Amino acid sequence: MARRPLMTRLLTAIGLILLPSLALPMRAQAQHLLVPMDDAQRNHLKAYGLAFQALKTSLKVEWLLNYRGGAFLLPDDATLRRRAALDGVSVEPTTDAGVASVRAEITGGNMDAVVLERAPKIAIYRPANQPPWDDAVTLALQYAGIEFTSVWDDEVLKGDLAKYDWVHLHHEDFTGQFNKLYLAYRDAPWFVQQRDRDLLTARKFGYDNVPALKKAVAEGIRGFTDRGGFLFAMCGATESLDLSIASFTVDIAGPFSDGTPPAADADAKLAWGRTMAFTGAHIEPSPYINALSDIDGHQVNVPARRQPLGTFSLFDFSAKLDPVATMLVQDHRTIVQDFYGVTTSFNKAILKPGVTVLASEEGAPWAKYMHGDYGKGSWTFLGGHDPEDPQHAIGSNPTDLSLHPNSPGYRLILNNVLFPAAKKKPRKT
Amino acid sequence: MAGCRRWGLLCLLVVSAVAALAPSARPLPAQPRTGGTGGSAAATATASATASAQDSIDPLAKAFDAEDKNDLRRAADAYRLVIERALAMPIPDGDRLAIALLGLERSWAGTGARDSLLPLVQRVLIVRPTDPIARTLQLRTLLSVNQDDGARQAFLDWRRADRDQAAPYREYAKLLLDAGRARAADSLLAEAGRQLGSLNAVSGEAAQLHVAMARWNSAAIAFREALTQQPYLETSALYALARAPIATRDSIRTVLQAPPVRLLPRRLLASLETFWGEPRRAWTLLSSVPVDDSTLASWQEFGERVEGAQSWQVARDVWGALLDRRPSLATQARAAQAALKAGDAAGALAIVRRTMPDRDSTIATAKARLLLPIEVAALGELGRAAEAQQRIEANGAALDATARADLAPLMVNAWLRRGDLEQARRAVQASDLADDDETLGWLALYDGDLATARKRLVRAETRRPELVDALGLLARVRIDRSAGMGQAFLTLARRDTAAAAARFLALADSTGDAAPALLGMAARLMAPPATARAATTTAGWHAAQAVWARILTSYPRSPDAPDALLASARAAAASGDRTAAIAHYERLLIDYPTSALLPQGRRELERLKGTIP
Repeated sequence: MARRPLMTRLLTAIGLILLPSLALPMRAQAQHLLVPMDDAQRNHLKAYGLAFQALKTSLKVEWLLNYRGGAFLLPDDATLRRRAALDGVSVEPTTDAGVASVRAEITGGNMDAVVLERAPKIAIYRPANQPPWDDAVTLALQYAGIEFTSVWDDEVLKGDLAKYDWVHLHHEDFTGQFNKLYLAYRDAPWFVQQRDRDLLTARKFGYDNVPALKKAVAEGIRGFTDRGGFLFAMCGATESLDLSIASFTVDIAGPFSDGTPPAADADAKLAWGRTMAFTGAHIEPSPYINALSDIDGHQVNVPARRQPLGTFSLFDFSAKLDPVATMLVQDHRTIVQDFYGVTTSFNKAILKPGVTVLASEEGAPWAKYMHGDYGKGSWTFLGGHDPEDPQHAIGSNPTDLSLHPNSPGYRLILNNVLFPAAKKKPRKT
Repeated sequence: MAGCRRWGLLCLLVVSAVAALAPSARPLPAQPRTGGTGGSAAATATASATASAQDSIDPLAKAFDAEDKNDLRRAADAYRLVIERALAMPIPDGDRLAIALLGLERSWAGTGARDSLLPLVQRVLIVRPTDPIARTLQLRTLLSVNQDDGARQAFLDWRRADRDQAAPYREYAKLLLDAGRARAADSLLAEAGRQLGSLNAVSGEAAQLHVAMARWNSAAIAFREALTQQPYLETSALYALARAPIATRDSIRTVLQAPPVRLLPRRLLASLETFWGEPRRAWTLLSSVPVDDSTLASWQEFGERVEGAQSWQVARDVWGALLDRRPSLATQARAAQAALKAGDAAGALAIVRRTMPDRDSTIATAKARLLLPIEVAALGELGRAAEAQQRIEANGAALDATARADLAPLMVNAWLRRGDLEQARRAVQASDLADDDETLGWLALYDGDLATARKRLVRAETRRPELVDALGLLARVRIDRSAGMGQAFLTLARRDTAAAAARFLALADSTGDAAPALLGMAARLMAPPATARAATTTAGWHAAQAVWARILTSYPRSPDAPDALLASARAAAASGDRTAAIAHYERLLIDYPTSALLPQGRRELERLKGTIP
């Protein structure tokens, strides 16, 4: 048997010494932590919390758009490793060479790396005493471990929104008609409490009724967006916010909310030039029909008009030319089960020109998820109430997200939370 | 989701109603005879005879036959013929008409011609203006083809024809609810209240409406009211109210247990409590209902349900109460068996030894067959093996070979509980257990013959928790003989868990790699997981915590370390030390990332931190 050269034996010996450390990749020091967001990720929702945590501690975060489901690249840091282990988030320690290879792959495809600069200051518009339904954003942020502040009418009217980068709205009816739940729930304790609370606030700020109060609140939110804020709205807040903004000088509220019927020519007087997403919609004047307008394509609370749920598809955008839209649709699934809400979807026929539709149901006349600019800020609307409870009803138990750690629908919400952290790049299209 | 469930239930009810009507009046279809093997003339004759036989067949039977064969067009023709003939009679046969109308609806729905039913129903209504089936079909058909105005007019016509009756409101409201039109049903029922003077006659529909709108308190009130007149609604009420969210359940409880105490609302609430996982509360409700035959029947039914759910303590109380009110040998046996399974051997013995006035109890054979095994098992559990043996001998005349064979394992267990291995072995020799792997495996283990125990127990047919524990330890301990280990298990068999824990602790240092496994076993015996909430202040819990700490300090890489951490975290959480609990959970997640306990630990940690509801 031929004797091996000395150098070969030496290298083999070194290899044997190094082998145990290679077998423990999590313990070995790497330069980066890659957080995959494709099917290799065990907990997609908490991965956003990990990225947020990194931003909070002033670490550099890169969002690798369209790379492995929208992966995050974080510096290798003991605190982040610990947080990932606690939260069950899959991370892959990666060396500089590994990152260089990833960057080469990104350069060659419809992918891009976006630097996230700082943790956005987040406010959720929600009452102190929670009504008998849940807010998917609150659930998602609590589960992911992302900090937020709750604000309500008082804070909005005092101008406190200026303190935040990102404001979320969920189920609120900004037309002040209590989502037209009066007929069914007028005697329910939570309804009575909600009405009394709103009336008290209205009086405190010198408004005659709840619709007037909510119009002022909607105006505050409009101003926040116009001045450069990021607005994310779901469910009934999408439709009612634009209706409220459009009806700034006209009465569209039913008699059960302000004592007078809507103006006879309300439709004609709506000021669509002020709104964010819709134009030319028609209000539903009947107090007996549980719909605010024809904006919602599904009309879940009007049985004769209700449309069945299908699935919606997320659109592809050019990561390098359209990074904002691309960020908002990062997901490990492109087709997602639809879910009802007070407003489930948006009639495409009445969308303003310039609105970017991010997701819609194939062959259906409605959009599900959309985005647009408004003044110096931007807004995103996602229809539906709870992505993991398609038929969520009043009084239903809140969704336990630890049972849905890979929810593609909830990922859309969390994309919006991180998107304001992105370093601004001029849009190229 | 609520809507779907409501749909499901109502569809089921409609189908049941149709099924209840149709088969009862359904004659067997006539079977045409087949001819012989003759020539063409014979064949023609046979064909003509068959045709004539077919003509004489009742068209209703023809319709059923065609429907069975999924020939819906032929079925529809036959059903229509039945209706035509019935309408031609001076006094139409209402039952045949109803069956034919429902059949025609099914057939035409299957062929997409449901609205063709309307003119025919209209003709039926001219002759029978208050026919409920025809009226309901008319409403259902109109609603199904989205003719809302027509349906409203049909309802008004029915109301005019059937003045002051609740049926039109009831059927129309049901159909509206079926269609998910809760608000329209709400208006209709309000109208019913005004026209009929009260909602009593439509309280079942009102209740369903409240459920559809998640008005749980109102639904409970309406169901309570409805049950007084329509007791058959109990099942519907159960399915409807069972899905009430946790926060609303107290209001349902308040309504259904309000005075006066009546069986039906109490029984409904008891069923709900059982469904919500509160069988003890359910029994408290049922046991306070004044006793009569119906109450006792409800108790019996409830006892069987909790038995099925293995809520043995509740079952013991239910059968005990029944035994007091309606003594019988069978009830005595069930009460004693439930007590035994609930871990109350003394109670089981007391029940078995009660003298029953029932005639059966005088029959020694029946008594021995039913009660003696329970008595022997109870005596065994109480460590009174000799007394158990005496009881068997005293009843010798009443026992056949099978009964004796059934008692043998009980006696083996009784001697083991006593700690008398010799007697246990003798009992095995005297029975057909001499080849039973599990019995012989346990005996070998108690003897300290770990090699034989390992071989035998792994082949045991059952997988009781104590067997799994023993196999787990045997797999970790490498030695083949250990008298100490045998003694420890024998002590455990005597149910002396404190002494057994002490023995396992003492053995730990002499078992090498298996030490943490023995320590873990000792800690489990000191602080059983099931007692976590109630017993965190007891000495056993404090001792267990010291053992868990020892495992974590001395054997941090052993498979028992994650177990110890999870147990420590739970103990800390149960005693209100949130900070310590979080620290234990976090250590589990960080230091043992591949442990199978991770999902449990993470979920408990998230709940503790409030990140999930």
